[in-house]
Amino acid sequence: MPEYKAPLRDIKFVMTELLNSEQHYASLPGAEDSTPDMVEAIIQEGAKFCEQVLSPLNQSGDREGCTWSEEGVTTPTGFKEAYKQYVEGGWPSMTSPVDFGGQGLPESIGLVMSEMVGSANWAWGMYPGLSHGAVNTVIAHGSDEQRQAYLPKLVSGEWTGTMCLTEPHCGSDLGILRSRAEPNADGSYSITGTKIFISAGEHDMAENIVHIVLARLPDAPQGTKGISLFIVPKFLTDGNGNVGEKNAVTCGSIEHKMGIHGNSTCVMNFDGAKGWLIGPENKGLNCMFTFMNIARLGTAIQGLGAAELSFQGSLAYARERLAMRSLSGIKNPDGPADPIIVHPDVRRMLLTQKAFAEGARAMIYFAAQQGDLVHKAEDAETRNEADELLSFLTPIAKAFLTEVGYESANLGMQVFGGHGFISEWGMEQIVRDTRISLMYEGTTGIQALDLLGRKVLMSQGESLKRFTKIVHMFCKENADNEQLKPLIEPLQKINKEWGELTMKIGMASMKNRDEVGAASVDYLMYSGYAVLAYLWARMAKVALDKLAEGTSEEAFYTSKVQTAHFYFQRLLPRTRAHAEMMVAGADSMMDMPAEHFAF
Amino acid sequence: MADYQAPLRDMRFLLNEVFDAPALWASLPALSEVVDPDTADAILEEAGKIANGVLAPLNREGDEEGSHWDNGTVTAPHGFKEAYQTVAEGGWNGLGGNPEFGGMGMPKMLVAQFEEMMQGANMAFGLAPMLTAGACLALSAHGSQELKEKYLPNMYAGTWAGAMDLTEPHAGTDLGIIRTKAEPNADGSYAITGTKIFITWGEHDMAENIIHLVLAKLPDAPAGPKGISLFLVPKVLVNGDGSLGERNSLSCGSIEKKMGIKASATCVMNFDGATGWLVGEPNKGLAAMFTMMNYERLGVGIQGIGAAEASYQNARAYAMDRLQSRAPTGAQQKDKAADPIIVHPDVRRMLLTQKAFVEGGRAFSTYVASYLDLAKFAEGERQERAEAMVALLTPVAKAFLTDRGLECCILGQQVFGGHGFIREWGQEQLVRDTRITQIYEGTNGIQALDLMGRKIVANKGRYYELFAQEIVDFIEANAGNEKLKPYLEPLAAALERLSDVTEYILDAAARDPNEIGAASVDYLDLFGLTAVAFMWARMVAVAGEKVDADTSGFYSSKLKTAQFFFGRLLPRTVSLAESIRSGSDLMMTMTAEEF
Repeated sequence: MPEYKAPLRDIKFVMTELLNSEQHYASLPGAEDSTPDMVEAIIQEGAKFCEQVLSPLNQSGDREGCTWSEEGVTTPTGFKEAYKQYVEGGWPSMTSPVDFGGQGLPESIGLVMSEMVGSANWAWGMYPGLSHGAVNTVIAHGSDEQRQAYLPKLVSGEWTGTMCLTEPHCGSDLGILRSRAEPNADGSYSITGTKIFISAGEHDMAENIVHIVLARLPDAPQGTKGISLFIVPKFLTDGNGNVGEKNAVTCGSIEHKMGIHGNSTCVMNFDGAKGWLIGPENKGLNCMFTFMNIARLGTAIQGLGAAELSFQGSLAYARERLAMRSLSGIKNPDGPADPIIVHPDVRRMLLTQKAFAEGARAMIYFAAQQGDLVHKAEDAETRNEADELLSFLTPIAKAFLTEVGYESANLGMQVFGGHGFISEWGMEQIVRDTRISLMYEGTTGIQALDLLGRKVLMSQGESLKRFTKIVHMFCKENADNEQLKPLIEPLQKINKEWGELTMKIGMASMKNRDEVGAASVDYLMYSGYAVLAYLWARMAKVALDKLAEGTSEEAFYTSKVQTAHFYFQRLLPRTRAHAEMMVAGADSMMDMPAEHFAF
Repeated sequence: MADYQAPLRDMRFLLNEVFDAPALWASLPALSEVVDPDTADAILEEAGKIANGVLAPLNREGDEEGSHWDNGTVTAPHGFKEAYQTVAEGGWNGLGGNPEFGGMGMPKMLVAQFEEMMQGANMAFGLAPMLTAGACLALSAHGSQELKEKYLPNMYAGTWAGAMDLTEPHAGTDLGIIRTKAEPNADGSYAITGTKIFITWGEHDMAENIIHLVLAKLPDAPAGPKGISLFLVPKVLVNGDGSLGERNSLSCGSIEKKMGIKASATCVMNFDGATGWLVGEPNKGLAAMFTMMNYERLGVGIQGIGAAEASYQNARAYAMDRLQSRAPTGAQQKDKAADPIIVHPDVRRMLLTQKAFVEGGRAFSTYVASYLDLAKFAEGERQERAEAMVALLTPVAKAFLTDRGLECCILGQQVFGGHGFIREWGQEQLVRDTRITQIYEGTNGIQALDLMGRKIVANKGRYYELFAQEIVDFIEANAGNEKLKPYLEPLAAALERLSDVTEYILDAAARDPNEIGAASVDYLDLFGLTAVAFMWARMVAVAGEKVDADTSGFYSSKLKTAQFFFGRLLPRTVSLAESIRSGSDLMMTMTAEEF
């Protein structure tokens, strides 16, 4: 398994040099404490924890997996202790509001920590990761009493949380879920039903687990408008953070799966478990959507983490492994062969990983700054603008970055040749672990429908224009920059084409509703490459400016410029195919009768 | 998990209708003696039964159980030994084998179909007969009469299995630097010493003997690939009368823990002065291996299709069954809580991508197999041309079909949503199993270098011209075919794109040798897509004629899948061509530290 090293230099580059975080935090109400020194200190401390505590547990956690028994789920050796350290270090409460015992730091700083945790050990990171959803739900929709009862310990990390949505027969289509909630005389509800795929649903790391459960009230309307949210703790509490008797919720089994073996994926059985309504009746799905953007950005991080960790592994291997001679002449005359990094095709793989890992970081941090504005900006106009922009970027970040993260993990494995397939090296684990990121939190297909259907077409293209305007401004500002020209020109072209393609699909979908679904994934991938092109052009600009000013880090900035060129010339051309395919029409998909798929 | 069903209808369509295999066989004396349409059909039928009834049921459990190592002894998962006996008794190990030594001498076109079924049903198992067949091929082509007589009949019968021992801890792609050595003994045999890794089914309990073909260096052999020789090293020494004698001094040191094909034992093999016999000439070991390489590489490509077919069958069944959300155009099954997910365009996109690549890939592997048959059994110019086509197309078959195989398995997993990640459904196993096919038998990067460097640039595009001309001829011959018309134009455009890029690279490579490696993987992909477009056009030519009289829906399904391929998959060639033209500087200017 590659030993994870937090890419602190690149994190700093993206935060401060590309996105000017100093100014961003200085102007963000409530984030005045996030001074550059403070932020750097937090990130360095976090990096140490991830490198020294979490990374060493990544492979052993995969091998050992979780163990289920009647009494509960035991996490892999060392997980519990690592979590204890994490809680003691105050990490769970970083971004929670000060009023509820949190440290009130901006989400964007929390996401940097999530990146490092997730790259070092994704399976472990899901335990605290899932708590965020529960915390946010209680903060936004809970009564004062509920906040008092649950938040202090959830925020501190002494308790963890889960989100219980999926049932055996429904995942993408939550409208048909069956778990039910019967009112009790004391104002609580009896929750009955089976939930599956509940990550961190049961484990031994915390004193209590607080489930946020989707269920139906008696006589609730059918479909998505009849779903309500309930808080169902594993142990009932006295309302002041003390746990009492066990609630009627049990983990029936854990899944045997492809990856993230260190994380327990639970079947949760609710047998008249005591729960409390949170938020208005029948508005459960709306309440969930409050944090969908941040939750999905959290999943996008899995793509980034996979690309980063896999790249670290493959780069080290490519520098060491000797095989064949360079075609342009021997590079390592003292050895029996040259290191494989001399071969163009190995470089193609490494550069693809690098372009995606660094590009993904830029995309996530960029979106996270919008998230900060949504939650903390003073004026409603700014909040609203940021919210719209974030809503547009979220499905792209989630689906595109997990897709290219998975591709990058596969490339990293390929660099290792046959050794990549062997568990000991850890490269195949990254592939297995990452695969789930394309499915949970809404599959790639669902994200694509969200982007094209709900975000872009429903707003008559406004949500796209909000972004293409930003790109357009950037291109205009740099129109005279000779060095940037090879990037600005294609960027401008794609920015324009993006709108035209959207129009075409929009027109076609007015005639045939199937056109949206037929175009959506190609549209999403196209959009991902376009957003990344914008960010790579910006990164190249920052780097070129530094090089022009003179810098002691010439190699670092040169590498940025070269990677940007690689991205534009080797990866961005993928948009050509997506552009053609997304307007190829729905007929070739929809004409075939379902039975004929059997031939 | 749907039960695997061998796709016999489609295989018959290819053999009989698209490629007219019976006519080809009749034209080749060696084949006309052993195979006719009825025999071929009976073989397909029987192969299907073995795949569906014997091999597929062991696939899921074999993955969970894995092979067991205990102090040098390897035990295959439960049921594998019995299945191996069934396969051996059916004569399947010798299906394509040399009739002179007990093989059945069947054409590769037919053997390829058997291989696909076996690999699709159970890839971990399928590797054992596949490696045995490979070892037989090398032995049959290069072994002395004595070695052939002594070993081939039992290997074809399946009583003995074969293994190929190439890789060493420090040498995989670069076999020139292997260290295993062979010291001559007084009796003409050799003492082999060294460590080999990644030896698939190098040790197991399914057969009574295992015949290893081992690459090693003779004393004073030249350095590099020209100093490697091939040796036959049996696990158990064979007496003069053919009976088994003493155990040879080789042993399995351990088996690997790996991502997939867990049921198959991937062995570290230690040779401690083991007795072996030279196969072929001294220092010509690599060349001898290349004889069987073309067969093996096509075989690996076929693994990709086999797995993709299995994944498609599961995904299709799931998509018809799983109810989730309503169709965008209005509810289709009003009496149910939701519509089956096959109503959703994006689910269809995934299914049709699988279908188009599986069927197009099967056509391509059958087509390549036909050239292997011609290269082996035809004469004169016809044979020479076939040999060139085999050389050209083999790396494409290996890499393109395994790349698409993995892509299809991933899509098949995606159709299942979260359930695709759960082992019980079988879809994630297909992904894990198929992943190795992009790596072994020469990584796909190596295949691409082989195609670009050795098969295109080295002969200045001469082989390529043969292939391109075949497509041009097809387009001309069908110019008046109305049903084909919508496909001929994009096919011609794709061919032109490929030809232009080929020329671009021939030109660029003359100036900078790094251009080959910079372009190779994208080029292979572009080549593969164009070749499969040709296959789809050929299938349309047949299906178009028959669709009107057909009530089954088979031909109509073919035409629609072709339409999908041309509209939705072939456009990838546009991106690839553009990416290739960006050249090698982008990759080569960065210093190793700057990464």
